[in-house]
Amino acid sequence: MEQVEADGLRKTYGETVAVDGVSFSVDAGEVFALVGPNGAGKTTLVRCLTGTARPADGEARLLGTSPEQTDEARVSLLPQEFTPPERLTPDELIGYYASLYPDDETRDTDALVDEMGLSDAVDTRYGDLSGGQKSRLKVAVSLVNDPDVIFLDEPTTGIDPEGREDVWRVVERLADEGTAVFLTTHYMREVERLADRVALIDDGKLVEVGKTDDVIRKHAGEPRLVVRTVGSAEEAIEGFDATVEGDELVFEGVGVDGIGDALDALDGAGVGYDEVRWREPGLEEAYLHLTGEV
Amino acid sequence: MKPSRVRGEASAEWRSFLRKPAAVFFTFVFPAILVALFAVVVGAGSGFFEEPQGYYFAGYLGFVVLLTPLSRLSSTVARGRDRRRFEKLATTPLTRAEWLTAHVAVNGGLILAASGLIALLLVAVGGASLTLSLVSVVVTAASVLIASAGFCGLGALIGRAVSSQDGAIAVSNGVGFPMLFLADTFVAPDTLGVGAPVVELLPLTYFSRTVRGATFTGGSGAELVTSLALLTVFSAFLFAAGAYALPWHE
Repeated sequence: MEQVEADGLRKTYGETVAVDGVSFSVDAGEVFALVGPNGAGKTTLVRCLTGTARPADGEARLLGTSPEQTDEARVSLLPQEFTPPERLTPDELIGYYASLYPDDETRDTDALVDEMGLSDAVDTRYGDLSGGQKSRLKVAVSLVNDPDVIFLDEPTTGIDPEGREDVWRVVERLADEGTAVFLTTHYMREVERLADRVALIDDGKLVEVGKTDDVIRKHAGEPRLVVRTVGSAEEAIEGFDATVEGDELVFEGVGVDGIGDALDALDGAGVGYDEVRWREPGLEEAYLHLTGEV
Repeated sequence: MKPSRVRGEASAEWRSFLRKPAAVFFTFVFPAILVALFAVVVGAGSGFFEEPQGYYFAGYLGFVVLLTPLSRLSSTVARGRDRRRFEKLATTPLTRAEWLTAHVAVNGGLILAASGLIALLLVAVGGASLTLSLVSVVVTAASVLIASAGFCGLGALIGRAVSSQDGAIAVSNGVGFPMLFLADTFVAPDTLGVGAPVVELLPLTYFSRTVRGATFTGGSGAELVTSLALLTVFSAFLFAAGAYALPWHE
């Protein structure tokens, strides 16, 4: 079932078009990632979808109805750059946000503290927590109502690797339990790890939407095997389907299974080499390609 | 309006207040210092301050009732907007009216406590003579709570209008201090000249007249009811406008 829907969403600020005709949907149990450069329209799109901003045109639907009419107890948002009251402890903050929801729709505070790795900091005020602990706590307060749809706007920015792993595990568990997760991020590795589908927004427009693997395959280019020859690369290239870049031979489209064959062929031809590099392109390359940065 | 949500918001605000020493100081100690200083000036019976100490009780309370909510709410709203707290709250079941009610409860309670302290100091240090009866206490307490609700609304409006916390405090003072001295608190309206007509348009005027009538001049029941009713109308309007202005949405 579609939990989040955008149909031709458009949002303007004066002459500036922040979101321009955006359409997509997110299903239950799906992690949908939105990536794009700073100022591309990610946060504005989140605001339109959660009802904190009204689109100039088009329609947003949340749990089958307009964001303004949605049951707030089934939705959660972690805004970008959100800072909760600094003088409250993790226990108190989770309790505070839980008190805003019906009792029977909230999660156990202690379990949330444990799950987010904050047990050692229950008596520490938010302002005195480390950056990683703050980020984990912000995610925790967004989970108090056990939402059916959650919007996480750059939840792991400024967080340490261990904390990021904790957040990722929580996101994976949420999706496994059927929650629709709408995630914006700058970390491509986060998208590759978590997202079932990814959308790339640039200048307010979606330039690509699809399964993460498909987007990588379509836009990231072929795997590359790069061999630095001992002698002249220009002389060594004869008989090989490769290109020369400086003193290196570059083989495009060589998968991980083809590395051995390529090196055997070089050995057979008597081509000496002292360095071999192979890289399978990922979402980072697809992103750079789609945003025109390469 | 759901009491559990109001309680949750009020509880978080109360805890935050208690852990901020500067806020506690300015809420309780600053008015106490002010009363002590004015008690000396008024006691000397010079310049503007020719009335007995009890006459100015309404002014001292007006100072706290007006400036505490204005500065606290305006900065709270400006800070909450900067830190994206309202965007978060907008996606919870908490409503704007509930949020403001919670903050009125906290600030009203604080101001009520500060008012008691001021009354004690004025009597003990200044030697003021105040009417002490069930009616005077109930009317004064009701005036404090009703006025607090209105000025919390005005503080929210200022917080919405300004772009920073510093700006919020500056505008609060810019609005609050002129109102304080135009509202029949320390300066009698007939000495204001061309400014006198403005007095009747200020909600604080009806607060000071109600409190002074109940605690010092022995105002009639009709006078107290009329000024309290006008204060209630002003406060209801300011509360509604303040709640509507909270930056729940863009």
